[in-house]
Amino acid sequence: MRRRARIALALAGIAAGVGAVYVLTAMSSAAGGPIAAGLQRTGAMVGSLEHRVRMKIRGPGRAAQLVWLDRGRGASLENPDVILLGAYDGRLPASLDGVIDLESKIGVTLPLIQLYSAWGDKAEHQFPLLMAGAIWDMGSVPVVTWEPWLTEFDGRKRTHLPLREARDSHGLAAVARGDYDFYVDEWAAAAAKFGRPFYLRFAHEMNDPYRYPWGPQNNTKEEFIDAWRRIVTRFRAAGATNVIWVWSPHVAYEYWDLYYPGAGTVDWVATGVLNFGPIAQWSRWWTFDEIFGTKYATLAGFGKPVMIAEFGSLAVGGDRAAWYMDALSDLPARYPAVRSLLFFETGSDQTVTYQKVDWRIGADTTVAASVKRAIQTWAPPAKGTQ
Amino acid sequence: MLSLAFWYAMSRVILGWINYLAITRAPHVPASDGLTVAIFTTSSPGEPLAMFERTLAACARIDYPHTTYLLDDTRDPRCREVAEKCGAVWLDLTDLPGAKAGKINRALEMTSEEFILVLDPDHIPFPELLHRVLGQFGDPKVGFVQVAQAYYNQPRSFTAAGAADQTYAFYGPGQMGLHGHGACLAIGANCTFRRAALESVGGHGIGLAEDLVTAIRIHAKGWRSVYLPEVVSRGLVPEDLGSFYRQQLKWARGVYEVAFVELPHALRPLTGRQRLAYLAVGTYYLCGATTFLFLLFPYIYLWTGIQPASMRFGEFILAAGPVGLIATAIYLFAQRWLPGGAPERGIHWRGLVLKIGCWPVYLAGTLLALIRAEIPYVPTEKRAVRGRFLRLAWPQLLLVATYLATLVHIANVRMFDTSEGVLELTSEATWGMVAFATLPVLMSLGILFAAGQSSRAPRPDDPWDSVVLPGRAKQ
Repeated sequence: MRRRARIALALAGIAAGVGAVYVLTAMSSAAGGPIAAGLQRTGAMVGSLEHRVRMKIRGPGRAAQLVWLDRGRGASLENPDVILLGAYDGRLPASLDGVIDLESKIGVTLPLIQLYSAWGDKAEHQFPLLMAGAIWDMGSVPVVTWEPWLTEFDGRKRTHLPLREARDSHGLAAVARGDYDFYVDEWAAAAAKFGRPFYLRFAHEMNDPYRYPWGPQNNTKEEFIDAWRRIVTRFRAAGATNVIWVWSPHVAYEYWDLYYPGAGTVDWVATGVLNFGPIAQWSRWWTFDEIFGTKYATLAGFGKPVMIAEFGSLAVGGDRAAWYMDALSDLPARYPAVRSLLFFETGSDQTVTYQKVDWRIGADTTVAASVKRAIQTWAPPAKGTQ
Repeated sequence: MLSLAFWYAMSRVILGWINYLAITRAPHVPASDGLTVAIFTTSSPGEPLAMFERTLAACARIDYPHTTYLLDDTRDPRCREVAEKCGAVWLDLTDLPGAKAGKINRALEMTSEEFILVLDPDHIPFPELLHRVLGQFGDPKVGFVQVAQAYYNQPRSFTAAGAADQTYAFYGPGQMGLHGHGACLAIGANCTFRRAALESVGGHGIGLAEDLVTAIRIHAKGWRSVYLPEVVSRGLVPEDLGSFYRQQLKWARGVYEVAFVELPHALRPLTGRQRLAYLAVGTYYLCGATTFLFLLFPYIYLWTGIQPASMRFGEFILAAGPVGLIATAIYLFAQRWLPGGAPERGIHWRGLVLKIGCWPVYLAGTLLALIRAEIPYVPTEKRAVRGRFLRLAWPQLLLVATYLATLVHIANVRMFDTSEGVLELTSEATWGMVAFATLPVLMSLGILFAAGQSSRAPRPDDPWDSVVLPGRAKQ
């Protein structure tokens, strides 16, 4: 064969191989089993160790600013006497730099960091040990929003589950029956092994019929309550008593309070306060009080600390800096049951709109300054102010 | 690309298993009397005279009646003396093209025996060799009979031990499986041909992989072959790293030549199983290119942050672990078929170190084949050659240096430049990649050791000095 023919043959061979590999990898990607869990733990341990080595070399890191939180004392997280600020970082799982950037802009080290974790069969659906461990080692407490996407499970592996298309209909009833215990129990065991306290916000906005498959378009409120109670029971049986349960309806829809699973299985009540402005047909420029104020009494009426789990305003349609100032000024005095507020620090949210929207405060110096000033008015002041 | 390399490695393992499925042991057939047999052994300039003396003396002790021919192009009168002293016929075959194969083809014209044993000059045959082999030719369709190769100098150095380790499985279960597929390979050494089979393909093949070419052609003509997993001779394996490199480069380049030139023509008459077997052999030396890719990818990640494959070290262990365990178990199980018995068994880690660590040689073979560069046919050194350490080990040294520099770089970046917000989240991925990068470095340390050994003065004694000739001298 001539040289050119040879190289062509070699290239064709490589191309055919790449194609074959592509097909093969598309067919399978899964995780599970005790070895996988062991490897995951080893990975997290290496990370934690490296973090400690670095603190030995470089001196105490971010965690030093959060010593006041006293995470080991149960009451400091279950019923704190100050507002615990926090944020979700849209760059997770790769980075928490967004949180650190936000902190430098608003002058507070945030005791809580939120992450989102979906149900399913893949590696990323396991208990988020790496992220939770990283958040803990940085001195904060994780808030895990846990989303029951039932269609993520592989029907070939889980033969007892209905077909994907049929799975969401009364899916929470199936959860309540125990059809998903195989997953819940494994996750609960990993959570127990994690051992440190963290917040778990399961099936948030369960009363919104337009958003997630676990909403009332597929389930009754009784089915939600039964699923919630089953999960809390399974976690307690697995020894995961480090979990702090956050019940989080969408208060814009009526009858949201009927979804309350009961004081015995709920530690915090939460809701989101997001002002989308006029960018969507269903929305206009809402003030914080318009969204939250009218529902506050009912929320506080459950006798649990209240969390604003997703907090923010977009820029279009009003004065964004003023919105934050208006929302945050004297918040502890106006809404004394509110004990936690999590900024929604993501630049590419696409959950309810067709276009990506930017909720970040850290990226907008005027707004960040406004937030910083508003927080400074609080009495008692937000702990952790730098 | 990376997963391609991974699947290549997997396919090698699986091909090996398919091969093992076909393992068959040819039954012994007593040789009938009165066959005419020639033994061809070749000498080239620079090869040590004492070695020929041993080999030719051992040939004289072979029981079955035969004629030994020394195919000589050394122009050294002492060669003739040695040959005649040992009762061998000396053939002066200087200035022939085609190196060893050229001499064999010329000698074929000058002789008339029905069977020809091509014996490597470093191999000391046992007296029973021809008795074990010739019976197989009772089947008139059998074109050649190959016996196992074994060595007597493997304890003399790390390189020799590793090189011998590499061959054990091939000459045991490997060739027995190929035999079961009807595709056993003729190795340059110790293959006995039927003259009619050789003549039907126009003589012995020429080129770097002349033996492989010859086997393919004879099979393509419809001849059958027999592999005898019996140790009926012992020879030399390269003792120094430089000689090993040259031997492997020659083989790699030669095998590719066969894959590119010979196989496409010969495919049609071969059986399906023969095609698969030869394809497997023809792509064997791709391991250099795939090792190189495996080697490269952690560095790409560690220096640029680009992740060429989304596989994390943990997932890799999870995916490859069971396969590795099963492969090792099968490998150990298949050791029951090793021709040399107990001394050849064990975990052949030195062989693995040489195979993985010598990737530059195999990669060079692959690239040379792609651009169709010629390399000359030179017989493998019989005596250990003292090499320069740097010349032998520079690719491995470069790798170890790169590895250490990468470690320093990573530690520095992660302790002082990485933000706390990403440190722990990227820890598993980063150190997993470092673990990936460590495996080939460990292999390279073995090569550095072999290179160190090869750069010292070779042992003063020659390996054949201490060999006691098997059998009794005939009067």
